[in-house]
Amino acid sequence: MTSFSFLFFGGCALAGSLLVALMPKLVHSAFALVLALVGVAGLYWTLGADFLGGVQLLVYVGGITILFIYGIMLTPKDATRWSLPALLLPGVIALVPIAVMLNMAWTGLEALFLPGTRDEPVPGTAAIGEAFLTRDQYLIPFELASLVLLAALVGSVYLARRRKEV
Amino acid sequence: MEPRLAAYFFVSAAMFLLGVFTMVSRRNAIYVLMGAELILNAAALNFVAFARFGQPAALGGSPIDGQMFAIFIVILAAAEAAVALGIVLQLFQHFPSIDVTKPDRLSD
Repeated sequence: MTSFSFLFFGGCALAGSLLVALMPKLVHSAFALVLALVGVAGLYWTLGADFLGGVQLLVYVGGITILFIYGIMLTPKDATRWSLPALLLPGVIALVPIAVMLNMAWTGLEALFLPGTRDEPVPGTAAIGEAFLTRDQYLIPFELASLVLLAALVGSVYLARRRKEV
Repeated sequence: MEPRLAAYFFVSAAMFLLGVFTMVSRRNAIYVLMGAELILNAAALNFVAFARFGQPAALGGSPIDGQMFAIFIVILAAAEAAVALGIVLQLFQHFPSIDVTKPDRLSD
């Protein structure tokens, strides 16, 4: 069962990433990004990270992609094509890891899966909540993260406003 | 049949690779940001996979440390996307396009 959901969501993540990289239109890439992010959320669930999968859906799929689509609507659609000389160097660089991964997939597909079942993962939402609010664990980073979010909120409003001509 | 750590590594490595490819092969700033999101997701997936399959207690950690790191990655990615898109909009007001190879000055 875990194997099936892993294959499904992993396929979603891989197909989505591939489409982000290869789609010729910006909006299509943005929607492919949704597919990839939902796939990653599903992979989190297969790893027993329930809360993190929910966070991924809420923040990434619900928030960041909307931001991207607004960004696409507010900017000109230029420079989305590949130019062949510009693609040459990244293509050559990408060949090496592609070869490594194809080799990995070719020789070791059966090594990727374990026969039988493992112990069930423990849902850790309550443990995450306690870790966030325990002082010798993650309390300080948690509070700092809210400061970072506040600074990013104010900063992005300041950056994105339309400047008056002077 | 259960997926092992290496199976998650495979997905994560492929996502990282495609993210890098997206970042370097396009010149539109929005594509570059999407590639960055793919890379961040690949890294977070690695953290969570290690937290599930590794032995964090043997190293003095707790089993949810990897998930906490991934949560902070999501938080910082949200902040990064908001600020970066603000910068892209500002770029578009000063230059006619958002081709990342075109801007060549910091002030007017």
